[in-house]
Amino acid sequence: MIFTGLKQTPEMVAAAAIQEDVDVVGISTLSAGHTRSLPKLARLLREAGAGDKLLLAGGVIPEEDRPLLEAAGVHRTFTMGSDTRDIVAYLNSWWARKLEAEA
Amino acid sequence: MSNTKVSTLGQPRDAAVTSSQGSLAEEVSRWQEHTRASYVEANPERRDAFLTQALKWPINALYTPVDLEAAGFDYLKDVGFPGEYPYTRGTQPNGHRSAFWTMTQVTGFGSGESWSKRARYMLDQGLSGLILEYDLATTNGYDSDDPMVEGEVGRAGMALDSLEDLEKAFDLPFDKLKYLMSVCNAPQPVNLAMIIAALEKKGVDPKDFVLHIVNGILIEYTCVGRYIYPPEHGLRLATDCIEYIINNHPNWAPISIIAAQLQPAKANPVQEIAFSLTIACAYIESTLARGFDIDTVAPYFHFVVNVDMDFFEGICKLRAFRKCWARLMRERYGATRPEAMKIRMMTSPTTTALTLQQPLNNIGRLAIMATACALGGAGENMTTPLHDEAHSLPAEEAIRVGAALQHIVAHETGVAETIDPLAGSYYVETLTKQIETAAFEEMEKIFAMGGALKAIETGYFQRALGREQYERNRDIEEGRRKWVGVNHLTLAEEKRQIDIFRLNDDMESEQVAKVQDLRARRDQAAVDAVLEEIRKAARNGDNMVPPCLKAVKLYATHGEICYAMRDVFGEYGSDSQLGGI
Repeated sequence: MIFTGLKQTPEMVAAAAIQEDVDVVGISTLSAGHTRSLPKLARLLREAGAGDKLLLAGGVIPEEDRPLLEAAGVHRTFTMGSDTRDIVAYLNSWWARKLEAEA
Repeated sequence: MSNTKVSTLGQPRDAAVTSSQGSLAEEVSRWQEHTRASYVEANPERRDAFLTQALKWPINALYTPVDLEAAGFDYLKDVGFPGEYPYTRGTQPNGHRSAFWTMTQVTGFGSGESWSKRARYMLDQGLSGLILEYDLATTNGYDSDDPMVEGEVGRAGMALDSLEDLEKAFDLPFDKLKYLMSVCNAPQPVNLAMIIAALEKKGVDPKDFVLHIVNGILIEYTCVGRYIYPPEHGLRLATDCIEYIINNHPNWAPISIIAAQLQPAKANPVQEIAFSLTIACAYIESTLARGFDIDTVAPYFHFVVNVDMDFFEGICKLRAFRKCWARLMRERYGATRPEAMKIRMMTSPTTTALTLQQPLNNIGRLAIMATACALGGAGENMTTPLHDEAHSLPAEEAIRVGAALQHIVAHETGVAETIDPLAGSYYVETLTKQIETAAFEEMEKIFAMGGALKAIETGYFQRALGREQYERNRDIEEGRRKWVGVNHLTLAEEKRQIDIFRLNDDMESEQVAKVQDLRARRDQAAVDAVLEEIRKAARNGDNMVPPCLKAVKLYATHGEICYAMRDVFGEYGSDSQLGGI
């Protein structure tokens, strides 16, 4: 697991994700900047040929922003009050499906 | 005798036992065995252990004078009288019978103009003070057109690039607005200078207005994260602002310790008091080193303290907080003036207790927590978060409800009609004393490791909070702590019942255009020269406020001044934010 630290731009996160060759990118966003930063991050990953990475977001994200984010390439949002066990279950099933698809 | 007649209505055997003489402790044991035990056997308790919410201390079924005696409770020593040491019963001699606390709300978003518009709305709703929050670009020391902040401009607070933005924001009725709190910690000298310059331009008499800067950089390193420079330089800049205000605007407030940021990072009440007070000591000691004495410095310190949903833990924390400050000032620094020992405090219901789910339930939670704040003494100010905060920046209706809520507590409940009404409660006094004792033990531990700056640099605070966060989350997920809407009384399908506030997306490009336009028309040579003066003052250890004041008046931007200081101080990495469990 790579923790990029706070105050990262989409460019910085995309570069770190590619350099470290991670499977999943998880973003925490609380400032309402998500409608711009997350689609940009998804685009940067795609443009760098890393569109297969799972992109997750959490934090303060209103329900009605989800379609916009999903259309832009964010695979799933886990907002406030999400159960960490649900997040783990989601990751496990995603990983199983990925292995199956690659087999 | 009628007494005899009444007593015969009860069971004769009970009467016989009750009449036997014995100490109160024996009476409590008797009640336990004779009356309670068989009942509990027939009606088992609804949970295995009753614990306070954050501290997880066992709660007895019953508290009596025996518990106070066991805790060594001494009324005069532990509680005393309102307005007198140790201020457990409040710092005001007449509680809130002479005046209620000042009712405050946080605001800040968008541009200077939009802030001014909302501030006017809030003043019209009966609020008399405002808190100004800035966006993440500003609080992290960037201008709106910096590539680091794309998409963040004006989101989490007002965008502030230059004095021109504040000139627009301060288009306000200053006859109504008498108190403004500004939250801009890492770039504090720049922000202070900009406000001073803007007030000057508006012709506001600084003696007739209270500017309160939070100036709370050490908590930013501990849990919030809006820092720029390494901690030692952060502390120096904070001290510069304190020194400048004491010398030039003695009626203003140069520092707040926002315990209310430690609490949402899941500090328990003991950690909240101990971390806050040792952080205060770091500022105090660096200010004393500038040649002030404790009786001058201590009265300038101010605290913002949250109350969570455990009603009694919250109330007792507020009472213990006042007492711990008083003791610390007297015992550690030898303060002698009462003003140095009276804590100045703003209280607030915590946002941590609010849920995204079923947001209207949050109004109920806020009312309960605001009542706890009032019962705990409220402080000089109370601020209420709003029920829709988990969804977005607050909508106007939420602001109105939030303002009304404080008036309901103040005018309709009667909790402010007598001073410290819960004093003498066996439970409240026991818990207050337990919290005080544990907070002093924790403070000794922190002092022994070299104080708050060391505790931050070594990650002690961050790790302690990480452990609390982990445990709290487990408690909720595993159902030990019931939370309506989250793990109890949940709804399968939820339709949002509240209006959501949306910021105009054009705002960012407009703000970017404004700062670029400003740079094109100002005297660039003068700006370059003043930025060099900033670097020089930073290197020489001069107080940074006067050169910042000179720079903002020449319309050097917020980000430019912050970068000039980065050239000297460097930037702080965020590794310490890892915390861990």
